[in-house]
Amino acid sequence: MADLSETGRDTADAAEDDSPPTGPRRLLIALYAIFALAATARGIVQIATKFDEAPVAYVLSLFSGIVYICATIGLLTNRRWSRPLAWAAVGTEMVGVVTIGFASIIDAEAFPHDTVWSRFGAGYGYVPVILPVLGLMWLWQTRGTFEKHPTTG
Amino acid sequence: MIQGLAIGVLAAGLLLGGWTGIQAYRRRPTTEAQMVGAIVLEAALLVQTVIAIGKLIGGAELDESVTFVAYSLGILLPVPLGFSLARIERTRWGSLSLCFTAVVVAVMTLRLMQLWQAGNG
Repeated sequence: MADLSETGRDTADAAEDDSPPTGPRRLLIALYAIFALAATARGIVQIATKFDEAPVAYVLSLFSGIVYICATIGLLTNRRWSRPLAWAAVGTEMVGVVTIGFASIIDAEAFPHDTVWSRFGAGYGYVPVILPVLGLMWLWQTRGTFEKHPTTG
Repeated sequence: MIQGLAIGVLAAGLLLGGWTGIQAYRRRPTTEAQMVGAIVLEAALLVQTVIAIGKLIGGAELDESVTFVAYSLGILLPVPLGFSLARIERTRWGSLSLCFTAVVVAVMTLRLMQLWQAGNG
């Protein structure tokens, strides 16, 4: 197939021009849903089995899981509160991953037990630090579009 | 866990991830064959989970059995998610969603194998 538009572009480029906003949104839903599952399950298992070892880290795991759940719901639904919820959750995630990322590197002893956000999410292939950037980019680029076409459901 | 099956699942996850990744790069939605591939992968995952939990109930000792069970059940969720997204999103983004979930399954399988081996010395 000789399609010139295919050559020499990566997927990140393509997000900006030729795709309808639903596509990246659905990928974000996949990403956030998986991390919601991973972080929440991790937090629950840690708190249930060995809470005394590192309560702060484990509560943080659960907190990050809840933030991911809120972001997933914000992206998935199309209500009046959906986008504010997504903004709040993705913003919290951004602040959280940067704060915990720096804190866990500067003061490693305070974070002996990893969370999803420790060391900028190194344990999860650094996806936790990339994810909020993608989320914020998508929210910024699609601002206004959803308010103009309300599809309640 | 059965080593051979786990490696098979791991390879299948990466293969489906690569395949749908190329499809996304080519700006195409997933093909029928890829959707069948996702179903086959999910079936293999289900068989693996049943065998692993069966062995655990049958007396296999693990250091982190709760984590292992959580992973065994959690690993069943990503592919259906990717599958349904690929079905409603008939663009490259659907392919990319399935690609991501297939790779997640491969990584989770690797983690499962580690947990299993750590428990069995």
